[in-house]
Amino acid sequence: MTEQIVVEGRHIPVQHPPFSSLPGYVVGVLLVVGATVVCELLRPLLLQNHLLMIYLVTVVLAALKVGLRPAIMVVVLSGFLHNYLYVPPRFSFDFQHKEYLGTFLGLLVTGSVISSLVTKARERAEALRIKESETASLYRLSRDFVAATDRSAVQAAVLVNIEKTLGLQAALFLAENDQAAPALSCDGFSLTDEEQQAVLQAFTTGQAVEQYRPFAGTLCAYPLKTRRLTLGILAIRIRDRAGEAYEQTRRLLEAFATQTALALERIELAHQAEQAENLRARQKLERALLNSVSHDLRTPLSTITGVLSSVLEESGRLSPAVHRELLENARDEADRLNRFVGKLLDMSRLEAGGMILKNEPCDIEDLIGCALGAMERQLAQRMLTVTLEPGLPLVELDMTLFCQVLVNLLDNANKYAPPGSPIEVRAWNDNKAVQFMVADRGPGVSDGELERIFDKFYRVPEPEGVGGTGLGLSICRGIVEAHGGTIRAENREGGGLAVIITLPTKGREYAD
Amino acid sequence: MPTERLRDNAPRILVVDDEKSIQKFLRTILTAEGFVIQIAETAAAAQVESALFRPDLILLDLGLPDMDGVALIRQLREWSAVPIIVLSVREREDDKVLALDAGADDYLSKPFGIAELLARIRVALRRVVQVSEPVFRSGDLQVDLAGRSVTLQGEEVSLTPTEYDILRLLASHAGKVVTHNLILQQIWGEAGTSQQQLLRVNISNLRHKIESDPSRPRYVVTEPGVGYKLRVYE
Repeated sequence: MTEQIVVEGRHIPVQHPPFSSLPGYVVGVLLVVGATVVCELLRPLLLQNHLLMIYLVTVVLAALKVGLRPAIMVVVLSGFLHNYLYVPPRFSFDFQHKEYLGTFLGLLVTGSVISSLVTKARERAEALRIKESETASLYRLSRDFVAATDRSAVQAAVLVNIEKTLGLQAALFLAENDQAAPALSCDGFSLTDEEQQAVLQAFTTGQAVEQYRPFAGTLCAYPLKTRRLTLGILAIRIRDRAGEAYEQTRRLLEAFATQTALALERIELAHQAEQAENLRARQKLERALLNSVSHDLRTPLSTITGVLSSVLEESGRLSPAVHRELLENARDEADRLNRFVGKLLDMSRLEAGGMILKNEPCDIEDLIGCALGAMERQLAQRMLTVTLEPGLPLVELDMTLFCQVLVNLLDNANKYAPPGSPIEVRAWNDNKAVQFMVADRGPGVSDGELERIFDKFYRVPEPEGVGGTGLGLSICRGIVEAHGGTIRAENREGGGLAVIITLPTKGREYAD
Repeated sequence: MPTERLRDNAPRILVVDDEKSIQKFLRTILTAEGFVIQIAETAAAAQVESALFRPDLILLDLGLPDMDGVALIRQLREWSAVPIIVLSVREREDDKVLALDAGADDYLSKPFGIAELLARIRVALRRVVQVSEPVFRSGDLQVDLAGRSVTLQGEEVSLTPTEYDILRLLASHAGKVVTHNLILQQIWGEAGTSQQQLLRVNISNLRHKIESDPSRPRYVVTEPGVGYKLRVYE
């Protein structure tokens, strides 16, 4: 085996026998010359039959090392030389005696048998070695594929592995609108028009296509086929196109193409599964949303409808006090409905990522004043303490949205804490951040819920008559986080819940 | 006839809104309150009616089918000083500022209570009648515009010139929102619009002098993202 896989000027090292750098025939001649020299030196000491042994050793050596045909040449040369030099009379051929013919045939058989055995063994070893290296390179490829989580990673893995294993340059074309569109290629890899035609042909027929171009080599286009369809084309340029090595390279490349197709299909399926999962999750969320929304819309609407119809139809029988009470009830429910719709809009804007902050310099006292003003009617019966640390800086924020945050927190405190219990609002400057706290003396929440209450549509098991939407706190979190701040809840010592907002002031302060 | 005379003297209100239910509701309520009502469903109709009907006040919804409400305000302001109250939904703070800066007198967020609406209408109509009153009163607060003095429960309050100017500006638009931009321009001049933080600081200082609880102001109230309003108490 003296072939080499020569590709793009690089050699794939093949394990060659010793001397293989010289043609076998030269080595054979040198061996015979060497044997003759030894024979000449030993001739005074040995019989000519013994000298034959030296030639036999030479034939065995040649058979082991130089391949079958050079070995036969060695047999012939050795036979003639031995006969010519050492079978008396010296310097003449003697084929009269049958035993010398026997000697010659013996040498020939010995040489042939050993040589073909060795060649076969070597071929088997070589085949095994190639198999092993193919397996290793396929293993490396599939290992890279396993690590790849998207199409581009798969593409990169193929090209890198082809370049590393075979030293070949390649390009990938992927199906796009029923066309094979260039996806990724090695640096400096470009195709002629004919070669592009070959790629296209391979894509449309689903069969490998080879396109030879003098001096450049052969472009091989392998379709990346799955059971269902052709995902793309793996195009590789191979320098020479003959011999066993070429076949092996091609086999390996076909395996690469198959692996690539599988990897791409896997990614695609995983992607589809993920999309399906997302869709399911979204549908579930939408169902929950619809249930919640229709419940939250219907409840106040049924009150309003009930009140209005009784006022319309029963007004003669209602005392003025009852009449008024009913109407106030209806108005409160209408307010609630309006707040709920507002929250839905806030939420949808937060979800769409379309919340654009209209920041303005904001006086914290003013901000808290706005929130308290908006909740004036609801908080009328509450004992409310507001504690502001003196010298709070002006802070850059969207006042409308941030006011909404405080209103939601106050609304929650008002809803969940028993009537008459105090509510506390506090703001202080702490370590480059303004902190806000809205705290109540209500039931608080279990430790496991401290984080979950900020989730959308999460409602704590609520006291009778408290109609939460499960949106207020998630809107708060959305707005606070849009401002680069954080919001958390904790249970207070002595009972009650405190919600604390931390708003970093770095870059938001104004020098006075 | 007396009723005719009453109708002749009654303030005339042009309602510009394309929502039938709002039209019906406003017509019922406002007619009951003794106003004369005309409805316009489009900006084009509003322009015609504001010339023919000669309203004393316009209630304008910004979402009109044929034209942006703010553009309509600008067009009306080219030839008419009629008070305009904008009816808008809470989610459109930008529109409020634009409308006020374009020349609207006030705005009211939908949905609104009738008491609130009537109060706004009264404030807007009074402005036309009483162009300048030398002394502004609201609750315990009194601003003597001629004497440049401010008293709270009869006691003199000492304000800086800037604080006084802001208070006087708010008092001259009492009951209505004055936008940040308008205040900044009036007090600090054209270059003042970048002085947002100065305005915040001055408002804060003003509150600490005239409000009993500056964190729950009664007089100078903030409209987040829009401006300030001086509330009027009887």
